[in-house]
Amino acid sequence: MSGGERPVPDEDTAPQDAPTQDAPTQDTRAQDVAALVTAAAAGDKAAWQGLVERFGGMVWSITRGYRLSRADAADVSQTVWLRLAENIGKINNPERVGAWLATAARRECLQNIRVNTRTVPTGDMAVFDDAGPDLNPTEGEVLRAEGERESAHRARVLWRTLGRLPERCQQLLRLLMASPPPSYAEVAAALDLPVGSIGPTRARCLQRLRAELDAVSGTA
Amino acid sequence: MSDQPDDRELEEEIRRAAARLDPVPPELTAAAVDAFAFRDLDAELAELAFDSLLDADPATLVRGSAGPRLVSFTAGELSIDIEVAGAGPDRQLMGQIMPPGPVRVEFRRRDGATTSTEADELGRFSAASLRPGPLSLRVSGAAGQPRPAVVTDWLSI
Repeated sequence: MSGGERPVPDEDTAPQDAPTQDAPTQDTRAQDVAALVTAAAAGDKAAWQGLVERFGGMVWSITRGYRLSRADAADVSQTVWLRLAENIGKINNPERVGAWLATAARRECLQNIRVNTRTVPTGDMAVFDDAGPDLNPTEGEVLRAEGERESAHRARVLWRTLGRLPERCQQLLRLLMASPPPSYAEVAAALDLPVGSIGPTRARCLQRLRAELDAVSGTA
Repeated sequence: MSDQPDDRELEEEIRRAAARLDPVPPELTAAAVDAFAFRDLDAELAELAFDSLLDADPATLVRGSAGPRLVSFTAGELSIDIEVAGAGPDRQLMGQIMPPGPVRVEFRRRDGATTSTEADELGRFSAASLRPGPLSLRVSGAAGQPRPAVVTDWLSI
């Protein structure tokens, strides 16, 4: 990072969304988001909740893409949301609050990594952990249900295969799989990449994933 | 490059896998919603002016320098400088406000929990043991010496 840079996310410099995305949907979504920000700035708690629902998955995915532990991811996530709450009245471009959050999350992740680098050896946090030990209780119930067994198995195969892709692909795909999915502008802010590169990189990574999956099923 | 339907389908499939295997922990979502209540509407916001972690020379980091993190916030004429040291479960913090004055400093943490201390006549204050996580300082007048309250932007220590 350049010296003396103030870490206030500047959403004004984020370029437009890539043309491959459905333009009318993007515009509607942007308006909805702007309305949520404006209402939250006026004290509307339900609007704030709407923002958390809209972007909570994205912030989580960013922390996981940067390989933060669950505890560190929780700290970063909470810090980012507390910052947004405090700054909600000062967001210059409310429709770009997603990019604001993505930039804030990225910076907190990098600082978290640097703190850990300075003091303790970095753990080997994989982007796509083997989901066995981290099985959440819901997944356990699901596995026991007859009809879900196959799709649960496929999900694990998919997850493990993702873990074999190049690092850059893992991080990008981990972001893209957030629910709801982030815009390319938000992904670009999270990864500090040109927004125009997101579409082609995504296509290459998915092609790579498909090739790996075909190889896996070929040996089944 | 066109967006192939196969790509969308595959992306949707891995999105479902993520929702199943690595979802957002519900407690994170709840905490994010609660964050709204911790806005300090009465205080001026002191923005981050400097953070040594952002300006760190990558070579320094590789050598594993254990120097303290220096962070500075400003709100108009007021500056709040802090040094954060420590690793693992404990952080130590030393700070100073400029211009100096008798102030009360509250350490705001993730759940709205706060501890507080008084700065000395030189505006210096400290906290011996802080858990890692979100932190914001609230500076207000000491007893009998009212002054407008200032809160720092949140950071993660």
